[in-house]
Amino acid sequence: MGWLFVILAAILETIGVIGLKKYSTTKNLMNAMILVSGFGGAFYFLYASFDYLQVSVAYAVWIGIGTTAAVIINMIFFGESKSIGRFVAVLVIVVGVSGLKYVS
Amino acid sequence: MNKSWIFVILTSLCELLWIFGFNVASTWWHWAIIIPIIVVDFWFLAKACEGLPTGTVYAVFAAAGTVGTALMDVYIFNHTFTPIKVVFICVIVIGVMMLNIADTLSEQKQQKEAA
Repeated sequence: MGWLFVILAAILETIGVIGLKKYSTTKNLMNAMILVSGFGGAFYFLYASFDYLQVSVAYAVWIGIGTTAAVIINMIFFGESKSIGRFVAVLVIVVGVSGLKYVS
Repeated sequence: MNKSWIFVILTSLCELLWIFGFNVASTWWHWAIIIPIIVVDFWFLAKACEGLPTGTVYAVFAAAGTVGTALMDVYIFNHTFTPIKVVFICVIVIGVMMLNIADTLSEQKQQKEAA
């Protein structure tokens, strides 16, 4: 259950970041809603996950998945660089998260 | 020493404060303290990014948050760590730092080419 909450928190965080990006270029209600509900939801689910997981495990997974998702979305939708370095870094994070899941 | 590093330190401290808050909050006035800390945290983060590459700021921020929460777990919440858990947490931090540093390097390269 805790893992599900952390993953949801990371996904919502990513939605918040997209909202931030869109809101910084176009200030309308829709983009503001994406921004606020994204970050609001992210904090709520992170809070919920602390009931089930160690703080540091939840935090590391949240940061890891959040960063990875942001990079993948930026690569696909906003045309950011697809360098080898970025793929290797994403792979390292995935290894870390899966390993942590396996031993927790 | 860039003045923005002070904001990096402040944003990391705020991050740890609200995470600690999430774990101990029990009444409404606790939340009245925690929510402004989150807002201030974002503000410091934005200030830090004004003077330093975002990738660098985020890499340091993520590492500080992870190390800080690990220390919090051990010294405040009395959790224990197995060495293997520490290893995987370090792997995640290394990945996040690599990603952000790689981004900063490619940004600088682009700027040089444009100039």
